[in-house]
Amino acid sequence: MRDNNTAALSPYYNKVHTWGRLWSVGALIVLLSVPTAICTYLGVWPDASSVFKALVKVIPIYWITAVVEVLTYTPMLGAGGTYLSFVTGNIANLKLPCGLNAMENAKVKANSEEGEVISTISIGVSAITTTVIIAVGVVIFAPVLGKLTDPDSVFSPAFTYILPALFGALGAGYFRKHWKISFFPIVVGVVVLLFAPTLAVGTLIFVTIVASVGGALLMMKFKLV
Amino acid sequence: MYAIAAFVIAFVVIESVFFIVKAWKRGRELGISKETLKNTVFSSILFTIAPALSILTTVIVLASALGIVLPWIRLSVIGNLAYETVASETMLNVFGSSLSTEITDPAQFGAVAWVMTIGTSFALVLLPIMCKTIQIRVGKAVHKSEKSSAAADVISAAAFIGIIAAFIARAIYGKTPDGVGDAGFMSVCTLVTAVIVSLILETLCEKFNLKKLAPFAMPLSMFAAMGMAVVLNLVVPEAVSSFTWWG
Repeated sequence: MRDNNTAALSPYYNKVHTWGRLWSVGALIVLLSVPTAICTYLGVWPDASSVFKALVKVIPIYWITAVVEVLTYTPMLGAGGTYLSFVTGNIANLKLPCGLNAMENAKVKANSEEGEVISTISIGVSAITTTVIIAVGVVIFAPVLGKLTDPDSVFSPAFTYILPALFGALGAGYFRKHWKISFFPIVVGVVVLLFAPTLAVGTLIFVTIVASVGGALLMMKFKLV
Repeated sequence: MYAIAAFVIAFVVIESVFFIVKAWKRGRELGISKETLKNTVFSSILFTIAPALSILTTVIVLASALGIVLPWIRLSVIGNLAYETVASETMLNVFGSSLSTEITDPAQFGAVAWVMTIGTSFALVLLPIMCKTIQIRVGKAVHKSEKSSAAADVISAAAFIGIIAAFIARAIYGKTPDGVGDAGFMSVCTLVTAVIVSLILETLCEKFNLKKLAPFAMPLSMFAAMGMAVVLNLVVPEAVSSFTWWG
């Protein structure tokens, strides 16, 4: 007998979730094998209490952020895009804007099967491109790139301000089409940063999405959009 | 060590190819044109180049303390610019060390690898449990709103705008933990340049029906804004270009 979750999705979505679960478990095993292999190769294992001291500081931030990110990114990226993004990493600064841009260009919605397809292809291509660039860069360009991005380099500001460049370019199209609902979440984001300027971006995204969707619903209620 | 890196990277590439092939086939079944799918591939490659160079920079920065292989592995799979730096620095601080010095103790190196892995792997535990449920609930909500009104489009756009708004707000008034890239004159000028160039390119594409340019408008705008950051840093007096809200 099929469970409610299985019945509520199309066969393609159900397959994607089956593949995604298997790949996620596989990725977890591969990831855990890295420190295991390193310690075996070096013939030394770290002191558990020291590792625990660091984990106590890191886990509360990272694990809460992980919950928020899974809740936030899954509706945006679709199933395939989400499974791929969380394995390949660099979501907020690369996979998310890349997937959003691809869906915008293809004129498809995130919660449609077409959006699922475009998002998955975009994020998969982005992951392979990143892997190739890092691999080639490490082998060939490492000495040159170090000079390019050195704080004294003339090109350094291009990399320092890459996120405003990336999200300004991505946001322009949305702001033009939906300018009435765009101001409120930005203002909320700035106000939050006034009180917590170093707030982690994963948490800030959650706040601005709630503000944006809430603001849009209110404006619709009062027939302003 | 290089064999471990090759194994992890091969896993990431094979998984990506697997999902791309499955999505491509489904896309064709749904009637998405080959041109649209190819445009998605090319624009995604172009989009990725600059951020990937930025990630490569982090690999090289971390390499000064951790060697090249561990940062290479971590930032090719699951890793993230901020997480990897914070996790390794936190572990090294426990040992009374930091990323500014090269790690020579194998036990410290192993400890850093464990903290990086355990700290950032939790999402892979959550996804198999939560992803399907989230998608079904969101799908039902969207379906309900589609039935009652045309609100779904606005809600969907609002969610996208919410994500972008967080980064725009950070460019206007954000502060980074290490003080590099704090909001101020440069971040706002870079942001405004990206918005203006993107709007100009989009308008040109629409007015002159430049279908082939349209998918590249966004990455080109990003490169233009990055170029503006370089130019401003050269031509504007340092007192102005180095202005941030945080002094």
